[in-house]
Amino acid sequence: MDTNRKLFIPVILGTPRQGRISENVAKFVIGQLQSREGIETELIDIREIPLSHSDAGESIKHAGFSSAAMRADAFVIVTPEYNHGYPGLLKHALDTNLKEYIHKAVGICGVSAGPFGGTRVIENLLPVLRELGLVTIFWDGNFSRVQNIFDASGKLLDQAWVKRLDKFLKELIWMAKVLRHGRENVPLE
Amino acid sequence: MATRKKMICHSCGQEMNFHAEKLDYVAALLNPEAADPDSGAILEEAHSCPGCGLTELIRPESK
Repeated sequence: MDTNRKLFIPVILGTPRQGRISENVAKFVIGQLQSREGIETELIDIREIPLSHSDAGESIKHAGFSSAAMRADAFVIVTPEYNHGYPGLLKHALDTNLKEYIHKAVGICGVSAGPFGGTRVIENLLPVLRELGLVTIFWDGNFSRVQNIFDASGKLLDQAWVKRLDKFLKELIWMAKVLRHGRENVPLE
Repeated sequence: MATRKKMICHSCGQEMNFHAEKLDYVAALLNPEAADPDSGAILEEAHSCPGCGLTELIRPESK
């Protein structure tokens, strides 16, 4: 394994909705990733991926998104819960790639205004991610009552979230390293 | 049967590692003659490059 290559872990912001507080969560996660040695990250904002709505799947790939996904070793998906499910545009964007995801790690940060921290959207998203070839970690980020976690400028109000996210990121980074080694060095047969 | 010939990365020239298989049922609808008789799907193989990390999804040379 080329250990000089940093792990690339982009953060997918999974909602285009105006006024989205999930953006604060995504930026917080990016900051925490950037503070770690050997990690590169960037924001993938699905609002900025111009996808056709008259087709679906790999035929409408966006070069920039697919290129970032190919380079990625793992992903963080930050998603709010809409009517107990994931935003339609997030699914539409995820479905445009396949080979870019195979045997790569993914962790989900669920975001909600209520007390459940996106647990239902996380549960709904897990089988989708598995079918895309991604490997889910067993930590989640559950950002409950997100309106109380950040101030109006997006500043974190409760430092306990740094520790909570640390557990999530440690697991994700470990999985990213193991899976990169597996993808590149361990044959299926 | 899946090909065992090592793929060479078109980006950096290193030998790639074959690490996953995927069944594509939709592709089999479009091209039924190419489908694997056991699964009814078209088998695809994922190969990744230890040099640059590129992954390619290819169909085996024979079925």
